[in-house]
Amino acid sequence: MRRAGLIARAELALMVRSRVALIGVVALLLLSTIAAATSQAHMAQERLSRLANQTQTDALFEAQPARHPHRMVHYGSYVFRPIGPLAGFDPGIDPFSGTTLYLEGHRQNSATISAVRENSSLMRFGQLTPAFVLQTLAPLLLIFLGFSMITRERGRGSLRLLLSSGVTAGDIIFGKTLALGSIGLVALVPAWLALFLMALAMPSEAGAAAMIGLGCGLYVLIWVVGIVAASALAQTGQGALLSLIGIWCFVAIVAPRGAAELASRLAPLDSRATTDLTIQAELRQLGDSHNPDDPFFAAFKARILAQHRVTKVEDLPFNFRGAVSAEGEALTSRLFDKYFVELATVQRTQSQIVSGLSILSPALAVRHVSMAGAGTDLETHLRFLQQSEAHRFAMVQYLNGLHRDKLNHADDAARSKDRAAEQRTRIAADNWAKVPDFVFKPTRAAERLSAALAPILTLSLWLGAMLVLAVWSRRVLEGRAL
Amino acid sequence: MGRQGLSLNELVVMRGGRSVLDGLTLSVPAGHIYALLGGNGAGKSTALFATLGLLPVMSGQVLVDGKDPAEEPDAVRAAIAYLSETVALYEHLTARENVDYFLSLANQSRTNAEIVEAFAQVRLDPTAQDQRLSAFSKGMRQKTAIALALLRKTPVLLLDEPTTGLDPQATQDFHALLLDLKASDVAILMVTHDLLGAVDVADTIGLIIDGKLASQWQAQSTLPRFDLQALYGAFTQARAGNTPV
Repeated sequence: MRRAGLIARAELALMVRSRVALIGVVALLLLSTIAAATSQAHMAQERLSRLANQTQTDALFEAQPARHPHRMVHYGSYVFRPIGPLAGFDPGIDPFSGTTLYLEGHRQNSATISAVRENSSLMRFGQLTPAFVLQTLAPLLLIFLGFSMITRERGRGSLRLLLSSGVTAGDIIFGKTLALGSIGLVALVPAWLALFLMALAMPSEAGAAAMIGLGCGLYVLIWVVGIVAASALAQTGQGALLSLIGIWCFVAIVAPRGAAELASRLAPLDSRATTDLTIQAELRQLGDSHNPDDPFFAAFKARILAQHRVTKVEDLPFNFRGAVSAEGEALTSRLFDKYFVELATVQRTQSQIVSGLSILSPALAVRHVSMAGAGTDLETHLRFLQQSEAHRFAMVQYLNGLHRDKLNHADDAARSKDRAAEQRTRIAADNWAKVPDFVFKPTRAAERLSAALAPILTLSLWLGAMLVLAVWSRRVLEGRAL
Repeated sequence: MGRQGLSLNELVVMRGGRSVLDGLTLSVPAGHIYALLGGNGAGKSTALFATLGLLPVMSGQVLVDGKDPAEEPDAVRAAIAYLSETVALYEHLTARENVDYFLSLANQSRTNAEIVEAFAQVRLDPTAQDQRLSAFSKGMRQKTAIALALLRKTPVLLLDEPTTGLDPQATQDFHALLLDLKASDVAILMVTHDLLGAVDVADTIGLIIDGKLASQWQAQSTLPRFDLQALYGAFTQARAGNTPV
C-alpha cells in the first residue's frame, strides 16, 4: 500500500509536470463545471418558463366568458410537464419527448414541444450536461492519460528497475490505479458538487442525488481500473490506445444507440398516426355521441329513460345531451386508456431490453441510474401522460356535468336556431375556475431509488469484472517485465 | 557473517520455448568485478534477469548474498542494485527526486548529508542535483544511477551494458566509480560488449556462448592484467559463431 502510494504520487507528478496532461485535466474540470452550471441554469429557466406557461394557460381558461360548457370542452387547455430538481444533472429524455399536452374533449393528443424540435439541429448532438461530460468525455480523457501508464514503464525499462527495487506488479497496478483514480475524482467533483447543491435546495432529493453520485463514481472507477489493466495487458502503448479507443467507441457511442435500435426492432411501436387511425376506426365502431341514430347511444337513451321511468328525454330531470356527452367521453377515454396501456407496455419492454443490454456497456447502466434518479426517464414521462389523461378526463367530465345539470334540454336542442335559447345555454364564467388545476405528482424519491438499484448492481458487476481483469493483468505483467 | 557475493550454479533458463541459459555457472565474490562478455543472444542479459528473479529458473540455482530468489524474492531484490543500459530513471523527476523515490520504494531512508555525499562521490555537479533528468546527458544519468546504487548499499550490483553511448571520459569516470564500489565490498556483475572496458576494471572476464560459460580469464596482479590478444581472439571467434578453444 505504501509503495502503491509512492507510485501514484510519482505518476501524478508526471501528469502535473507534463503540460499536455495538465491541460487535459484542467479542460475536463472546466468542462464539467461549465456543464453543471449551464445545465442547471438552463433547467431553472425552463422550469420557470413551464410554470409561467401553465399559470398563463390556466388564467386564460378561467378568463373565458360565459359559454356553453361543450364549447369549453373543445376550447380545452394545456398542461406542461414540470421539471424535477435533479433534471439539471441529466435531462434524460426530456429534450426529445414532448413536454406539453393539449387537453380537449373526445381526443387524446400527443405530447408536443420538445427541445430538440424547437431548437436548432445542434441539440441532436446532445446538450452539454454533467451527465454527458462524465459518461462520454471523462472516459476519453482518462484513456489519453492512462493508456501508457504501464506500457511506458515497460518500453523504457523502468518496469525492471521498479521490480528490482522490491516493488511487485500488484503495487504498480494499484499505484497507477490510484493515480488515474485521482484524476477520475477530479472529473467527478464538479458533478458531485452540483448534485450536492441540488439536494441541498430540495432535501427530499438527497437519496436520489446520492444514488446518481454513486452510479457515476462506479462508472468512472470501472474505466479507471479497466484502462490500467489494458495498459498492463497491452504489448505497446499504441496497442493499448487503439484498443481503448475502440472500447470507448463501442461503450459510449455504439452500444447506447445500437441498444435503442435493437429494442425498437425487437419491440416495434406503431407510429402515432397509425395508432390514431386505429383508435378512430374503433371509435366509429363503438358509437358516435353526436349522432342521435347511433345504435349504442340509442340503447343508452333507452336505458336512461327506463331508469328514470319516463318516455322521452325532455322529461328527464337533467339535460340528456350532457349525459350523452359524458357517456361518450367515458367510452372514448376507456379506449384511450387501453391504447395507452399498450403503448406503455411496448415502451417499457423497449426500456427493459436496453437495460438488459447494459451488460454489454456500463454507459447504458449509468444512464439508467442518472435518468431514473433525476426523474427524467421513460417512467416519469409515462406518468405525466397518464396523469394528464386523468386530468383531461376529469376536466371534460366536469364540463359535461355542467352541461347535463345546468342546462335545459329544450334550450340546448334549440340553441342553433333560437338566439334566446342559445343565450340561456351559456353558463357563468366562474364555473371555469372550479376546474381543478393540473398538479403533476412525480415519482417518489423512494421509487426512483428502487428503480436505480438494478443498474447500480450492473455497474457493480462491471467493476467486479474489471477488478478480475486487473488481477489477471498483474500476473501477465509479472511475466512480461522484460 | 560477511557479504557472500553472487553465484550462478548450472543455471538453465528457457525463453520462448528454447533454452537461453544452458547450465551457466559463475561466481562473483564480494569486492569483485565480473565482466560477462558474449555476442547478441548469447544469454548475457538473461543471466541478469534470472538473478533478479524476473525469469523463472528451470534448473540450477542463483544465490545472491546467500539467498535464493525463488525462495526469498523480496530479500534478493533488496540485496541487488540494477542498472540497465538505458538508465531507466524518470525524466520528469530531478536527480534528487529519483534517488528519494527509488530509496522509498526499497524501504530505505538516507539523510540529506548521505545523499549529498553520494552525489559528490559520483562527481555529479551539485547544481544538477535539482534538475530534471530530461536535461541530463547519458553520463550524468549513469552518475545518478550509481549514486542511487551507493545509497542503497546493496551487496550486489548488476550492470547491463553500462557504457553503451558514453564518451571516453564518461566511461573512464564510470569505471572509477565501479572501482569505488568494489572497494566497498560490492559484488559487481557487468554484462557488456565492451572488451576494452572490461579489461580496464574487471577482476574476472567470462565469455558466454549459447548460454554456457565458454571461457573465463582472471586478472593478473601485474600489467598487463589480461592477455588482450587471447581475449580478442576468443571474443571475435565467439561473435563469428565458433566456440573458442
